[in-house]
This record gives sequence, structure tokens and C-alpha cells, in this order.
Amino acid sequence: MPAEDSELTISRFINAAPAVIWKAWSTPEHLEKWWIPAPLECQVVKLDLRPGGGFETRMRDGGGEFEPHVEGCFLDIVPQARLVFTTVMTEGWRPAEPWLALTAIITFEAEGDGTRYAARVLHKNAADSQKHDDLGFYDGWGTTLDQLAAFVERLG
Amino acid sequence: MVLHMENHQASLDAAFHALADPTRRAVVSRLTKGPAPVKELAAPFDMGLPSFMKHLRVLESDGLISTEKVGRVRTCRVNAERLAAAGSWLSEQIALWQARTDRLADYVETQMSRSVEDAG
Repeated sequence: MPAEDSELTISRFINAAPAVIWKAWSTPEHLEKWWIPAPLECQVVKLDLRPGGGFETRMRDGGGEFEPHVEGCFLDIVPQARLVFTTVMTEGWRPAEPWLALTAIITFEAEGDGTRYAARVLHKNAADSQKHDDLGFYDGWGTTLDQLAAFVERLG
Repeated sequence: MVLHMENHQASLDAAFHALADPTRRAVVSRLTKGPAPVKELAAPFDMGLPSFMKHLRVLESDGLISTEKVGRVRTCRVNAERLAAAGSWLSEQIALWQARTDRLADYVETQMSRSVEDAG
């Protein structure tokens, strides 16, 4: 598949200054509040904001043990402007074989009284990303069948 | 929500490179109703067979359809599994990041002070 078929971009205006959003990203207590949807609980294990610094979050469903969620390292950090992390390497640029290979490029840009926040996420390819489903990881959204139905409906 | 749906749809279009073209979308749409010979598939389109075959080859190389030749008739069928898989993984990732971004926005807008002083 061509590269553009395995990447996505989310962009939206957030009614808060880049500095505030940066704080929500760079402080474990804040990040835990929004990184994973409730009722799943999030635990920030590593948030070492420098190139090669570890990034690790774990998740827990209903009071059990915390399980792996994201493990990777940061590639680029420009406070209040840009944050890049990948899961194909862990802390100190150690090569890894993640369940879902991705590189996320997060940007913050002042816009009016708020911020234009964008996340561009690059994946390896469709087959690799499919492991996401096979391994049973989920963050709590729609089913394959519903999406297929909607898709086919749109084609019709 | 409107923004979400627009992004969602735009990204689905991006995901399905093979389906970015209206002719190819129409072919897949027809094939979701059942297999069909090339001649029948080509009939509604005002284009030469060589041009139409190019579209089929794009769909086939992207794995969205398969073709089989029996005698002089080449029959096409949709690869439903591939369609479902491709639809699910990227749209799921889009939904994941969209929801995550919305949670971040909601969190900073309602739970955190807007002042830069407090952000330090």
C-alpha cells in the first residue's frame, strides 16, 4: 500500500494557549487524565521529554493489573511547539518490535486565543496495523462490522 | 462531531487509494452485491476496455478484488476480508486519535487554567 494509506492526520482548534496544552502533555498527572478513555485507567511510567527519552504508558481495566499500552521513545522535543515519539524504539534508541509500529508527530501552533493542535501518525502498513485487532488491544471504540457497514453504505 | 465525521470520511478516502477513483468505487460497489464478469462490469462506463482493465488492475493489485479466468470469461469478486480489514484498522486508528485529541481539548478547556502563568 502507498504510504499515505497508512498515515492519518488529526487537526483541531483547542481553546487554550500552547503552554497550557504542553503542560497537559508533559505532566504525568495531567497526561493520565486524557491519554486513555475512561473507565480504563492510565499510568504514566516514563515521560522523559528529550530525544531518546523513554515514553511508556500502561493501562488498567477495572482494578486489575496494569498492562502494556504504549512503549517507545521521543525523537524530537520542542517545548510548546512539537513532540515526536515512536514505538519502533524504546528508551535510549533501543530497537523494539512493538505490537503496533507508529511514529506520532504532535504539533502546537498558536491560533488566535488558542492553539491549532495536530497529530500526524505514521504506520508501517495495513497488515502490521491489523495486529492491533488480532492482539485484542482496544481503546473502546466502534466495531469492524459497523464500520464496514457504513463504508459499504457510503459506496452504495 | 461534524469535523470528526469529515476527517473520518476524508481519511477513509485516503486509506482506500484504490477507491479514490469514482469508476473503481462503482466497481467495488457493484461487486459487494456478488461476483461479475469483466464485460458486465465495464458496460456502464463510457471508456475503452483497455482503460477499464487498468482500473481493475489497480483494484486487484491493492487486494480489494480478485479475478479468475475460466475459458474466455474473466470473473471479478470483491475481497470482503481485505475491505473489512483495511476499513477497520485505519478508521479505528483515526477514531482513536480523534477521541484522544478531543479528550485533551476537553481536559485543558475545562480542567486546566487558561493562563500561561499557571502553565509553567
